[in-house]
Amino acid sequence: MDTSNPAAFVNAEFLKQHVGRRVRAVVQVMQSDGDKVIGKSTDEQQLVVKGYPPSPLSTFVEVIGIADTPQSIQAETWTNFGDTFDVTSFDKVCRLANGDSKHLFI
Amino acid sequence: MFGSSQLDSFSGGGFISSQGADPSRTSAKSRDSPPLLPLTVKQISQAIQSSDEKSNFVIDGVDVNNVRLVGMAYKKSERVTDVAFAIDDGTGRIECIRWVNDAVDSKEVEEVSDGMYVRVHGHLKGFQGKIQLVVFAIRPITDYNEVATHFLECIYVHHCYRKPQIQSGHSVSTPSQTDVPAAVSASSSGHNSNQFSGNLSIDGLKGIEKSVIDYLEQPSSLAQEKGIHRNEIAQQLKVPLEKIMDAVASLESEGLVYSTIDECHYKSTSA
Repeated sequence: MDTSNPAAFVNAEFLKQHVGRRVRAVVQVMQSDGDKVIGKSTDEQQLVVKGYPPSPLSTFVEVIGIADTPQSIQAETWTNFGDTFDVTSFDKVCRLANGDSKHLFI
Repeated sequence: MFGSSQLDSFSGGGFISSQGADPSRTSAKSRDSPPLLPLTVKQISQAIQSSDEKSNFVIDGVDVNNVRLVGMAYKKSERVTDVAFAIDDGTGRIECIRWVNDAVDSKEVEEVSDGMYVRVHGHLKGFQGKIQLVVFAIRPITDYNEVATHFLECIYVHHCYRKPQIQSGHSVSTPSQTDVPAAVSASSSGHNSNQFSGNLSIDGLKGIEKSVIDYLEQPSSLAQEKGIHRNEIAQQLKVPLEKIMDAVASLESEGLVYSTIDECHYKSTSA
């Protein structure tokens, strides 16, 4: 069992706090170029995800990677989360996981 | 009386076992150990081995029997009688073993591939100083709202065991695959706001039934040996007689009222 390399749940607001660390976020894909995806985070702000997305790409995608700047993530893993996804609940998870319940996650 | 037992049956969404006793009197440690806990790998890493012979683990003060995890499967290696893999849920990685005894088991395991989100149910086992998970069920996840729901449940259950009393009025519905978004918003809003209207916990009783039982529980009604005639209830509550009769029939089947001298007179059982 190994808890040495966790990925923090982030939205755009919490991404700033985890720059340089491993993070996970769900974004709604707005625009997809060959080597990056411009998406909307679960708190309605723009994020850039660098890397090579899988194709086809569904509307919502979870990326796990390193936060290289406060607005972008260098993705290691992409997971298609489908076309219907409740962003409000995921956003709440981000808030709780970075707030009172941080000790359950990181 | 009825209100508090309703609260107990809704509390915790099925993860917190309640005795039916007043929640404010029982502490977290005196509850029976829950049958299933949703956990993160980080929580498991903080578990303490309990000292009794059952070699169970203790998390948040409760004996852990079975656990549920949601995460990505990887390092899957199939052996003769079992399949080993690791689950990474973003908070850590844990080694898992799934014993394969028959065709059903092997079919279940075949569907799992590396990098796929799965939900596992299993039992914690200590082995050479490490904690492993002996898995008895593994299912691929198709609706990704399950990921958010699982973590919200982990947070909720953790906080329930941390506090000595359950906040009254919390009603958390057990999520199912089909109505996960509704369940998630109910559980997340239930967690964030400590106010929750009391009506939500008594949703078994409709408005009229509630008024009828309230009327019958008034001291003046309870004092009458022969009970109250249903016409009187209809008159006092200004509700048509048929509705009173429906309400009384329903309350009678719940065991809350009973008929006394004849079919028309009723009394509350709480007297």
